[in-house]
Amino acid sequence: MKNGRATPLITSVCYVRLAVSEPKVSARFVSDIFGLQRVADQNGEIAFRSDDRFRTVSLGQNPADGASIGIEVWDDVALDEIGQRLRKLGFAVKEATPGECQRRYVQSALLTEDASGNPIDLVVRPTRSGRRYFPPRDAGIVEFHGVGIRSLDHGRDLTFWRALGAEVSDWVGDIAYLRIDGLHHRIALYPSKRNGLLYAAFEVEALDQIMQNSYFMQESQIRIVQGPGREPASRQMFLHVEGPDGLIFSYVNGMTELDGKPRLARQFPLTAASLCDWGSESKDVPELGAPGQ
Amino acid sequence: MIQLKDVSYVRLGSPDLESAEHFATACLGLQIAERGKKDLYLRSDERAHTLCYSEGDPNHQTVGFEVGDEASLQEAASTLESLGHAVHAGSAEEAERRKVKAFIGFRDPTGNHIELVVRPERSGRRYFASRDAGITGFSHIGLNSSDPARDERFWTQVCNARVSDRIGDIPLMRVNAIHHTIALVRAPKAGIQHINHQVETSDDVLRSYYFLNDRRVPIVFGPGRHPTSGARFLYFKGPDGMIFEYSVGVDEIEDEATHRPRQFGFEPTSFCMWGAKPAGMALPNN
Repeated sequence: MKNGRATPLITSVCYVRLAVSEPKVSARFVSDIFGLQRVADQNGEIAFRSDDRFRTVSLGQNPADGASIGIEVWDDVALDEIGQRLRKLGFAVKEATPGECQRRYVQSALLTEDASGNPIDLVVRPTRSGRRYFPPRDAGIVEFHGVGIRSLDHGRDLTFWRALGAEVSDWVGDIAYLRIDGLHHRIALYPSKRNGLLYAAFEVEALDQIMQNSYFMQESQIRIVQGPGREPASRQMFLHVEGPDGLIFSYVNGMTELDGKPRLARQFPLTAASLCDWGSESKDVPELGAPGQ
Repeated sequence: MIQLKDVSYVRLGSPDLESAEHFATACLGLQIAERGKKDLYLRSDERAHTLCYSEGDPNHQTVGFEVGDEASLQEAASTLESLGHAVHAGSAEEAERRKVKAFIGFRDPTGNHIELVVRPERSGRRYFASRDAGITGFSHIGLNSSDPARDERFWTQVCNARVSDRIGDIPLMRVNAIHHTIALVRAPKAGIQHINHQVETSDDVLRSYYFLNDRRVPIVFGPGRHPTSGARFLYFKGPDGMIFEYSVGVDEIEDEATHRPRQFGFEPTSFCMWGAKPAGMALPNN
């Protein structure tokens, strides 16, 4: 994570920008159902808050510069270093224009892609809000927690994330849980037949909120793609729910905190029991399931 | 006043001991302590048994409570008789079948068959479950009541139970520090409404939810959380329609002297703060 530096290169997953077919329909799901706070639209993008950040989710219709995952970088020096490392490894890296930075609510950024073609924004000084977070319903969301990413080339994608300072905490089959701070993981790479965001995860206060949201989704006839469940490797409880366009949003809580000491990544087999301690299974999302389930 | 120390056991009649044994071990997860000719003894904790299936009518349901000693037992018998309850003094053979030193039997005002026991047996060997359900012990029962206000008076004035909380006019009553040992449930006739076993963690509650669902055991309520006791729970149906509950995290009443029962409204959120709705199980109705 720090790679011998006094400060880490990257510090958080700070936003997801999603390209959707019908932003208004998706926006209703994100606010009324999932429970994020909708904030003022800008440049045709609908934005949402989940914590003290200015925005953590945005919805747009433009696939060309509409979808990306924002990774917060320590400072411009770290940004330079990451840029050099990625270029050396053969990844295309482009400096963001002032317009692109404005659309992302950040001061400076490098725009790149992982080996699977997932757009990744490396951003410095993402905007915070002076007003506290005020959600539309009591879903108990505490903060934007992290992402699951579909990977077409997990070996090369790992090279990408390691260049940013991420380390593998544990493996389930070839699913890699990547650590960038004190928590077990903020990013999980799932081998897949396509690229794209698998899920955006939001931390809630406790098990109570995981379960309350589970019953809320059942009553609202929203599809739960997996959960309530608990990842054995990270001890994180989860509920994955599906919105329009197959978008998966997750409520999570209880992830293991690591002590920062050197730690060998553990290997779990790709079986249902490695993916959920409680016994939940995903029938329809292949990346979340084990073969033969 | 009759000083109940703790709930000790439940005895259930069953026409089919084989099914009862299968459910108790493969689903519920208790340990077989002993198979008698007509009795199946099951353990859930350090006690020699806490549940006994006896070949017979499933309407025969008995709850045993432990009292301090034989003098207390005699005193209880006189108290009950003076109040007009017929008291059965247990024979030595009957006591042996219950693995207790001595006992008396009577019916509460609703007609529930209650036994007061002295020196129920403990086991020298630790409890070893038949499946990893995380059970830590038999903890409480839901008891039918045809008149909750009258029965609350019986349990709190003739016996030493104290009301911890009420949902509508349904009292949750304790006999020790644990939030409740007896939960009255309004029902037209006598019977045990549910049998509770505590488990180690909320993980166990959720694991059992998926486990029992897989085995097509009817889940009748939960997974959920009671706002009264704070316990995370799961109710499911066993043989002869008996409802069993796993729960974890039942509050203890910290200050016996100053605790005041809280009043909860008679509505679904008073039974589950997560939003679970009972299915195939009646909530205590008004």
